[in-house]
Amino acid sequence: MYELIANSIPIAIVASIPLLLAVEGELLVQRGGIINLGIEGMMLTAAMTAAFAAQTTGSVTIGFLGGIAGAMVITAIFGVFAIALRADQIVTGTAINLLALGGTSFVYREVAAFQRPIPQLHTDIVSALSWIVAPLILGAILWNTSFGLRLRACGENPEALAATGRSVRMHRWAALMIEALLVGIGGAYLSLALSSGFAENMTAGRGFIALSIVIFGRWKIKGALLGTAIFGLAAALQYALQAANRGIPFHILLAVPYVVTLLILCGVAGRVRSPESLGRP
Amino acid sequence: MRRFAVAVIAAAAAIVLLAFSGALFGHSPWSLLSIVASGSVGSRFALASTLLKSVPLLLTGLSVAIAFRAGVWNIGGEGQFIVGGLAALVASRFGIVASLAAAMLAGAAWASIASAMRLWRNAPEVLTTILLNFTAIHLLGWSVNGPLREHAGQYPQTDLAHVALPEIGGVHFGIVIALAASVFAWWLLYRTAAGLRLRATGLNPNAARWAGIRVGAQLARAMAISGAAAGLAGGIELLGVTHRLFERFAAGYGYSGIAVALLAQLHPLATIASSLFFGALVTGAGELQRAAGISAGVATFGQAVVILTLIVFEHVRADR
Repeated sequence: MYELIANSIPIAIVASIPLLLAVEGELLVQRGGIINLGIEGMMLTAAMTAAFAAQTTGSVTIGFLGGIAGAMVITAIFGVFAIALRADQIVTGTAINLLALGGTSFVYREVAAFQRPIPQLHTDIVSALSWIVAPLILGAILWNTSFGLRLRACGENPEALAATGRSVRMHRWAALMIEALLVGIGGAYLSLALSSGFAENMTAGRGFIALSIVIFGRWKIKGALLGTAIFGLAAALQYALQAANRGIPFHILLAVPYVVTLLILCGVAGRVRSPESLGRP
Repeated sequence: MRRFAVAVIAAAAAIVLLAFSGALFGHSPWSLLSIVASGSVGSRFALASTLLKSVPLLLTGLSVAIAFRAGVWNIGGEGQFIVGGLAALVASRFGIVASLAAAMLAGAAWASIASAMRLWRNAPEVLTTILLNFTAIHLLGWSVNGPLREHAGQYPQTDLAHVALPEIGGVHFGIVIALAASVFAWWLLYRTAAGLRLRATGLNPNAARWAGIRVGAQLARAMAISGAAAGLAGGIELLGVTHRLFERFAAGYGYSGIAVALLAQLHPLATIASSLFFGALVTGAGELQRAAGISAGVATFGQAVVILTLIVFEHVRADR
């Protein structure tokens, strides 16, 4: 068992990269008072546009740029409804997820480029980015810049920020676009590095798990890293158990990540305080 | 009347955008629309399949309408639908009534996991219900590959249920149950004190608390009723249409219920019309997949467009 865990750690670090980037992005926007339930659809769209860009140009770099662009487009749709039109964020997020799910499965069948070979990623730069660089930068932005202070004010007491003459909407838009950048990289990593191309509904609930981990981590960067590490290790153990074939039914193992997330939510949610104005349009 | 016009515009917007997206990828929009129309309402057979698709959509739509009216974010219709189907199959040896009762109980119980987590641990139900969907999907996968696998052992599916719903002219009796359920939901929400408490909690939980309503109990009740409706949808789908379970049994009916309920502006009787529209859309999209090779996922896309269009008009109305 000890050996099983030790072998799972490297897998956990790599396999949870898309999740971690989503957690980091969602943490930032929730600090600004927005629940982006559409993050699942954002990542799915990014996975598709990244695969498309990489498969048509043969370049991994352009693939990642394509993923970021895709995530930004769908995030802009979310922002128009949730920020500009002040629509309910849960309803908007659900609509965005349906839009991405239906849209990607439609486009996937229409475009021949998805049948082409996918260029390989030969670098660990994304692991370093998501586990070290992005947390440091996000922590610095949130806690050491006046933008971060004002963004947190958007999440706690937007009226107070508005009273100083600053635009709550602009701060939330900025946070959303940073989230789109992170989720775009995460989605691209999912289809370019963790799988060989796009598959329908390939995000499999990662966005919702990310939202749960943000709560588990109490809207703090360290908590987010810890939560993702625990979850990633559990998921990697599940892969290892699948491979070891110890007689546990395959489908029961597939359910493990979701049950773990449910337990994570129950374990801590009772004792946490969310940003005061989270989810209020 | 204005609300009706808004709903019609939203529905039309979905159809137009669907044709437009098809045109983007080189299909003729007119031929797409004619396939959707003839495949959903163009013949007696097409009409019957539209009605068949509308039955589960009506029940999952009611499930969402009741929950959202009470301010409870039940996004878990998909999972409740699945456990409803599982329970209905297991209980089918005891007859139709017992089977459907088991489906409702299972759906209510599955949904109540989320309300228990919310009330005891403050875990947001919008996330727990979604996570329970994924759990239910894999529970179903395990069941049809393991303990409930057919005796022939050939495919990952169960044996046929012991009973089936009677049919009238190609449409099973479930349509009557679903229509009765929407009248019941309307009566419950708008003609009883219990319904008033549910709606008051949804409109303003703090005011409801001051009025002496136990908000936690309302949340649990709304979630259980909502789960029962989605579970019933799964049971009826099993006994009326599929007659057995397989991995893709739920086919998105749970998630579609959200669009159905929102188009009906969360009104139980309007949900009937809304479910017919989406039933036609889903049936037409299936025909698109068969006849033109276009992904049936366009129906999901259409649902999203309906919701987003409704938001635009809500906004316009709120600003005046």
